Amino acid sequence: MDKYKKIFQDSLNISPENFSDNLKYNDIPEWDSIGHMTLMAALEENYKISIDTDDIVDFSSFKKGIAILKKYNVNI
Amino acid sequence: MNNFFTDGNFKLWSMLGSRASLGLAALEISKTNENFLVLTSDVSTSAGLDRFRKQLPQKYLDVGIAEQNLIGIATGLASEGFDVVTTTFAPFQTLRCCEQIKVNLSYMKQKVTMVGLASGLILGNLGYTHCSIEDIGVLRSLPNLTIVSPADPAESVKALFAAIKHKESVYIRLTGGSNNPQIYNTNYNFNIGKAIKLREGKDVLLVACGTMVKTALDCSEILGDQGINAEVLNMHTIKPIDKEQLKKSIIKKKLIVTIEEHNVIGGLGSAVSEMISGENNSPKKISFGIKDEYSKGGSYAFLKKKFGLEAKDISKTIMKEINNNG
Amino acid sequence: MKLDDKQKLSIENFSIKLKKNILDMALQAGSNSAHIGGAFSLADIVACLYSSIMKIDKNNPENIERDRFILSKGHACLVLYSALMEVGIIDKNEINTFEGDDSDLPGHPVINRKKGIEFSNGSLGMGLSVGIGVSIGLKKRKKNNKVYVVLGDGECNEGSIWEAAMAASKFELNNLTAIIDKNNFQQTGSTNEIMRNDNLIEKWSSFGWNCQEIDGHNIDQIYSSLKSSNANNKPKLILANTIKGKSLKFAENKNEWHHSVLTKKFYDEALKDIKYE
Repeated sequence: MDKYKKIFQDSLNISPENFSDNLKYNDIPEWDSIGHMTLMAALEENYKISIDTDDIVDFSSFKKGIAILKKYNVNI
Repeated sequence: MNNFFTDGNFKLWSMLGSRASLGLAALEISKTNENFLVLTSDVSTSAGLDRFRKQLPQKYLDVGIAEQNLIGIATGLASEGFDVVTTTFAPFQTLRCCEQIKVNLSYMKQKVTMVGLASGLILGNLGYTHCSIEDIGVLRSLPNLTIVSPADPAESVKALFAAIKHKESVYIRLTGGSNNPQIYNTNYNFNIGKAIKLREGKDVLLVACGTMVKTALDCSEILGDQGINAEVLNMHTIKPIDKEQLKKSIIKKKLIVTIEEHNVIGGLGSAVSEMISGENNSPKKISFGIKDEYSKGGSYAFLKKKFGLEAKDISKTIMKEINNNG
Repeated sequence: MKLDDKQKLSIENFSIKLKKNILDMALQAGSNSAHIGGAFSLADIVACLYSSIMKIDKNNPENIERDRFILSKGHACLVLYSALMEVGIIDKNEINTFEGDDSDLPGHPVINRKKGIEFSNGSLGMGLSVGIGVSIGLKKRKKNNKVYVVLGDGECNEGSIWEAAMAASKFELNNLTAIIDKNNFQQTGSTNEIMRNDNLIEKWSSFGWNCQEIDGHNIDQIYSSLKSSNANNKPKLILANTIKGKSLKFAENKNEWHHSVLTKKFYDEALKDIKYE
């Protein structure tokens, strides 16, 4: 969980104080389409997976991401 | 600046596609270049410039759907010492304002970098008003204008950085969509006018630009399985074409092949033909591209297949040619 | 702003000198013909700009503090070259190369900042867009230089002029002045015959410009319209009613003098018409 949170914070350039588990795509300016791809690239790099396009599109929130990553055998 | 060309960013750019990658490149360039400005004709989101527009509104000008005015204003700004990039969809970036490009950038030599979005066939499902199969051919006949067609999003970023420093105006032709195959995954030397040899080979020379570079690489694999050794050149700069490299690469080859997402008339194929026709013993050449027609529209994959631009079809033709002529 | 008699006389004399220079070049051009009509309709306006309005540095024509003059109706270049000679930026030897081989002064202006020519013009409809780019650039650098763009009335047929007109008000370019030389003729006939384009004041006002209409040969009106301040962050449009071939009895309002040969006979008559002493 800590690793997952850190990936979010680093990719989207958010400080731990400003971060919340309820974070959703487009909630903050940093999580725009570019931020999203930065996040996806970081998740792929860190967990050594390759995320399908459909899942990239579905990955709409911090919490939803946890469910999606299960498909790739990544358990947060 | 070295921190920008990381392997991580190369991967990110391939996921983002060329347009959004250029948006990021523009933000990076602005950090150290206070004269840098980006102008568009009402395409900020499509151009991947949303972030740029929001973070640097004072460096961004939207002139509305008025491409002639776009080039005129860019010229006025360039004459005042600004480093200007203009961008809109390729047909409008090149043909709508072609005379302004001629007078302002070619004749008056005012330096502007123009980025043509979604050139080639990527927007085929919208019909040919939004495709561009003529841009290289038309612009090649304008003096004082460099034409670059990057092979993948990372090369688009390298091209933009190079174009800003280049001595004359540059047209950067973006092809492909957001699922652009990645050719480059780590930093490399990119120089305008210098072709990049991606594969060595002694039998056949494949010269390609833009998204067709990946196609050429795929062809070389298929041909290799059939015992045909293909050299692959990424001719990212169509004008000025790398004559030195071509001179070397055509030696002792059985066949020269050009592959482009452009009319076979006027583009890369024509440029290569022009050059090799002046060389003694230059081999036969086959051009792959769009065969001078506007077909009905369709998806990118459909149109590439229709015009024989898939690696397996190109390879078949090459093999037939080699086998017939030994 | 009012002109005193001395200033006014000075501008009038400058205008006569411009006309003399135009005639010299046209005579020199011989059978190549010259765009005489449209240069003469502009002479009084250009005289005012170059003698009394614009910041010009004859010793350093590229001085960054200079005002900019863009002759979008480039075929009237005779009047521009004349003005550049009168202010001392180019000399008589240079003027004599007009339309000659390898000349820096061909029949449409070619960019040459060292010789006071800001941009290459001649393909109608392009100069205003470029002027807008310059005006935006000057504002970004927080400079107070002014930009003057001269348009033809026929030139206002071009769509690109209206693209530019829209943009100038969007970008709030109060450092930009466009002057329309409304001599009511274009290449093959009157503007009314070829492409009627009336109500220019209403049109440009609706595009967001501060508009004034003047007699383009009345020095007082030309001067005060150029000097008047520009309110509300809007660009300024001066619609100058002029006469093509003004001052030349044989050419006034005669469209064959748009581009024609000036023989010695007409040259001598012209010198009398313009009151050159």
